[in-house]
Order: sequence, then C-alpha cells, then structure tokens
Amino acid sequence: MKIKKWLSKLPLWLYACLVLPILAFGLSKQGTPYFSVLDIPRIWTDEAMKDWELPNSNPAFSAKPVSEEFYYNLPERVIYKTYPVYHPDHEPEGYWEWLHEQEAEVVFDESKLVTEEDWIKAGELLFDYPIDTLGAVINTQHVRNPDFYSSIGMPLTPEGIMPFAQWVVAGKGKVYLGNLSCAMCHTRVMEDDSLLKGAQGNWPGDKAFAFALESDGVSERGVQGITNILFGSPFVEGDPHGKLLASGRESILEAFKAVPEGAFGRQGTSILYPPQAPNLIGVKDRKYLDHGGLGQHRNLEDMMRYIAMNQALDFLNFYGEYNSLGLTKERLNNGEAIIFPGTHDRHSDAQLYAIAKYVYALTPPENPNKPSILSERGKIIFAEQGCVTCHTPPLFTNNKLTPADGFEVPEEHYDKYDIFDISVGTDPGYTMHTRRGTGYYKVPSLLGVWYRGPFLHDASLAKLEDLFDPARLRDDYVPTGFKPHDVKTKAVKGHEFGMELNEGDREALVAYLLTL
Amino acid sequence: MDIGYLDIVVAPWRSLRNRCVRCENFNYLSNKFDFRSRLLIVMLLFFLLAPILLFAQSIKPENPIQFKIKNAGITVDGTISDWEIMVDFDSKKLDQSSIRGKANPESIQTGIKLRDKHLHGREYFHIQKFPFISLESKSFQSKGKNTFVGIFELQIRDVKREVEIPFTLSQTGKQQKFKGEFVIDRLDFGLGERSLVLSDEVRVIIEF
Repeated sequence: MKIKKWLSKLPLWLYACLVLPILAFGLSKQGTPYFSVLDIPRIWTDEAMKDWELPNSNPAFSAKPVSEEFYYNLPERVIYKTYPVYHPDHEPEGYWEWLHEQEAEVVFDESKLVTEEDWIKAGELLFDYPIDTLGAVINTQHVRNPDFYSSIGMPLTPEGIMPFAQWVVAGKGKVYLGNLSCAMCHTRVMEDDSLLKGAQGNWPGDKAFAFALESDGVSERGVQGITNILFGSPFVEGDPHGKLLASGRESILEAFKAVPEGAFGRQGTSILYPPQAPNLIGVKDRKYLDHGGLGQHRNLEDMMRYIAMNQALDFLNFYGEYNSLGLTKERLNNGEAIIFPGTHDRHSDAQLYAIAKYVYALTPPENPNKPSILSERGKIIFAEQGCVTCHTPPLFTNNKLTPADGFEVPEEHYDKYDIFDISVGTDPGYTMHTRRGTGYYKVPSLLGVWYRGPFLHDASLAKLEDLFDPARLRDDYVPTGFKPHDVKTKAVKGHEFGMELNEGDREALVAYLLTL
Repeated sequence: MDIGYLDIVVAPWRSLRNRCVRCENFNYLSNKFDFRSRLLIVMLLFFLLAPILLFAQSIKPENPIQFKIKNAGITVDGTISDWEIMVDFDSKKLDQSSIRGKANPESIQTGIKLRDKHLHGREYFHIQKFPFISLESKSFQSKGKNTFVGIFELQIRDVKREVEIPFTLSQTGKQQKFKGEFVIDRLDFGLGERSLVLSDEVRVIIEF
C-alpha cells in the first residue's frame, strides 16, 4: 500500500518520460526490429500444403506434394558467389582461367540480415542464384560454343553477357554452369539493351534445350525420357504428351524449338501449350500464381511456398499414383536422396523469405509511353468496351479465375476461390491437359504490357495489335507468337474483345494500353 | 337431376359428384345452400374478381426496361426486353390500385455479349436459380396531377426490398401510360461485389 501511495505522488511528466524511449524506437525508420525477433514462417507444413494449390482440372490427379518431414529433411542450399556468363567472343581476356582461380565464397548469411533492405538485397542475390549445376537445361560445353548463341538468337547484354545463367564457383577449380535461377525465366534484355529483372523474360529456354539435346546427340529414348519427365501427364484426356513422345525424336525437338522467347515449357506445363513467362513486377498484388492460378497467393508465405515448389520440387509430386520421374511412394520415402535438378536440396525458409521480399519489392521501369490525346481516347474506349470488368484499375486485373472451355466449375469452388464464371474462349490446352492445369486461367494484369510480350497465356501473339486483329480468328492465320510445331496455320481464338473497332479506335486503345 | 348450365357454373362439383369419393364433402356443402344462396355467392365472387379480370391485364410492353450504371466513368446503358406487367390503376382509387411486374433477366443486353453472359451468372442475376425479377406495388400516393409515388416490393435473386418509385401517368381515354424512374443499390440485391470502377447505384427506367 505504501508503494502504491508513493507511486501516486509521482508527477505525471515522469510517467510520460518513461514512454518516450518506446516512442522513439517505435518511430525509428531504420526498420530494425528492436522489440521483436524476425519470425521466419515455416512454410512447408502438412496443414498448409493440403489446400494451398488448386486441384487439377481432373481432381483425382491433383498434385500431392512431399510431406513436411520429407521437405525439412532435405539439406539447405549453400549459396555461393556467382559470376556472369559471357558469349565466348565477348569474354574478357583470361576470364575463364581467372574463374578457376577463385575460391568458393558463401554469400548468404541470414544472421547478417537486419533491415528490410538487407533482406531485399539478399533476395536479389538468391533470385539470380541457380539451383542446378547438373546441367538441367544447358551446360558448360553449350555456353562455351559460339554456335549456341547464334543458332537460337540468344539475347545478350551490350557487354556480351548471357544473363539467364551464371557460373557457380564451389571451390578452386570447381566452376559449374548454373541453371534454374528465378532470373533465368524472369529477366528480360530490353530493346534498348538494358536488363529488366522480374519481367516476362526473353530467355529462349526451349530452343536452348533443343540445341543441347541435338548437340549432345541424345538418343530418341533419351529425348522421350526427359520430355516425359518434364511434361508427362498420361492421366489427362487424350494424353497429348504421350502422343508427342510417340511422334519421335525429330518431332519432339521441333516442338521444343517452336516455343518462342517469352514463353517456357517449365516442368509440369507443356511445349504443346507453353506458358508465357510471367511478369513478376507487381506480383505482390496478384491473388493467384501460375497462368492456371495453381497456387493461391494470400500472403508472403504463399509466395515462399510457390518459390519452393516451382524450383523443381514439384518433380516429386504424385498425381494419383503417377510421378513423372517414375518414383514409387516407397522409393520417395526410403531416405535415399533423389538426385535430380532441384529435388535433392531445398532453400531454407530464410532464403525463401528473402526471395519473396525481393520479388515483392520489384518495381517497373519508367514508362516511355506518356499519356497523349490518342491514349486518352483509348482510355475511354477501354471503359466503353467493358475491358474494365476484368482488367479493373488500378491493378488492371480483377484477380479472378475464369474457367476454360470444357471445364465445369465445381460448386464448392465458388466459396473457396475467386471465380469469374465465364470463359473467354482462349485455348484450353494448358489448363486442361497439363499437370499444372486447374481448369482455370487467371485474369492477367495489363500493367507493364509495354515491356512485355508475346501475349496471351500461351504466348501466341507477338504484339498487342495482333490481339485486335480479326484475322487471328481464322483457321488460315499464322500465329505471330507461339505456333505449334506440327501446323502451318492456326486460329488464335478467344478473348474476342475490341475486334470490331475501327483502325483509329484500335490504335487509340493500344496507345492507352502501352501507357499502363 | 339434370345438370343445367347454371349448375355447372354455380356447382360444378355436382357434375362430378359420382366420380370422386371426396366429392361427398362438396355434396354436403352444396346441400347446405339453396339455389339463391349459391347465386349470391357467385355474384359476390364475380364482383370481387371482375375488376381484376377486366382491368388487371397482363401486358408485354414494347419498351424494354432500361438501366444505367457507371462503369469506369462511362455510363453503360442496358435493357431487359422480356418483361410483362399487370396494371389495375385508378388514380381516384389508389388504395384499390395495383401494379405487378415480372422481368426475365436472361434478356439483359448491355452491348457486349460476353458481359451479358456474365450478368446471367451466379455473381449477378444467377438466372438458373432466380429466373425472374419481380415488382409488386404495396401502396400509392398522389403527388400532384398525374404524379404519384408507389411503394413497391422489388425482388431480385432471393432478396426482397421495398423501393419507392415516383412515376407519372398520362391517360388518353382508357389508355394509360406510365413512366417511372428509380435508383437501387445493386449490392443490396447481391448483384456483383464492391468495385473500384463499377458504381453501386443503378438507375432504372420503366415505361409502359
């Protein structure tokens, strides 16, 4: 009671003084977590993985990922310093020898990351870091061969750097070509030769892979085998990838070569319906990831899950009883490592956190297309044509999923997901006939179309103008972007908006879109 | 006993009494009333129903229901062309007047076919589950010469709400022409969701 009495006699200003330090730290702009330790989420829990992904369009074959126990038993990746890959004709003198003299340098140390900026910077480093040095797509021999660049039209920086792969130095004399970084598919060499990270990349990955298979003289069986591992989905109706395999080596190689820059047949997708490489700038605001909206994106943890899964861990998924590596569930869980790109190790949660932070921090470059009288007219046409319903400002997407032709939305999906219950009639192949297919396409954002292309989920149109060309709906149309290897012409159907606009209005609409 | 014309009108059950066991109940009732009483009932029923039978005619107006909604700053004009209305309106007997209407949202047109299709879907009118929009008057008030305000119950989807509709009447002989305009909040009726570009308010114009 005495203490209480004594306390009550203290002046109020003294109490106020006690609060000041808290206020001072609280208002600090340094971003230093004075009063809390950064809590890195544990993302691969059995509970979280259960319904994070949408079911397959054929739900009996929805992906079953590895367990939490399996995942966290994988060793964490050690992140070494990487070095740029030059076109052999542009390589600085003595560079190759110099690389072999370098010691391994571990560059990711989470204990040194304090501020938000630290994490973002570390995230960029990891974004560029290849997770594979086994030669998943290309290897040292390929990138040291000048024909590699000329035969596939590889984009290079003005310094002659091929920015889609890196040299990983894992020790003195241990110089490996690194594949499968995030940057591989999400880096774009712009028309002005600048490099734009996070954009729809222009890595001609499938052409590069075809070059690798051809120059290495891989047998028909080998080509079929790797193609099956990448895209096999015998459970889908008609098994189009099974038919592709049966068509033989040359035909498969032609299918790889048919995929244009800006699209990439990554694992679980297809080279018959190749997905456009997604633009990551602004991805923070998107509710679904993948063209089919496979991964829900409700928070940073979901982004971390997506990165973990997509950096090749989905090779270990089971689709019903099917696994594309030919694994059985017994083999998967017998404790022995599965040595295949991306399946024998994993990013730590801290590494994933850093990448997600970096991806969230990506910003678009300054748009050279400034608003004009023409674009302002296009803005009105954009509203009049009802584009705003799906491509709703300010994100220029309503963030919803539209069912593809042939997919009937299950009743329970209406409550679980954001469904825009109407098909715009684009090619259903990707979402109906692949391991990653959900039966939906997400409504894409139009932000940044000026630095992107080719367009549509399957990259079938090279330019925005092509989208409004009524000729594309005819069977005798030659797609300006992706054209399947086994046809000469093909109608690019669906999304038939703005087709009746006169030339002037079309021009105005495109002018407006380029300002976004 | 012969069954005459009047009997068929006044006591149709009598002609059926031998065909159905349940008719016994009717027979009992019919025996309770003599011919005069039955005639009286018929007359009463006639006078009660006559106004409806004679005046509350269902008509399919020529003009569609119009609506306007702002989308990204642009006013979108839409119509619902398939609708019908039953009118029994006497400006001198407002308390006995009624207006009832029914519209088919499947006939909605906004100038973009895919948008119309979307409006049919569950996010908006969900026509598979709710094939009609209905409007039924509750009361009327005069607001001056040929100007009225009606309180109506409007049902869209499974939501019923009272709306106040000011309208005008121009009458030429027996021909009546009504024109009303009102505003609803589409979210009140579960039509779509909140949007940064699509206005919540929809202006509806009805003319018949």
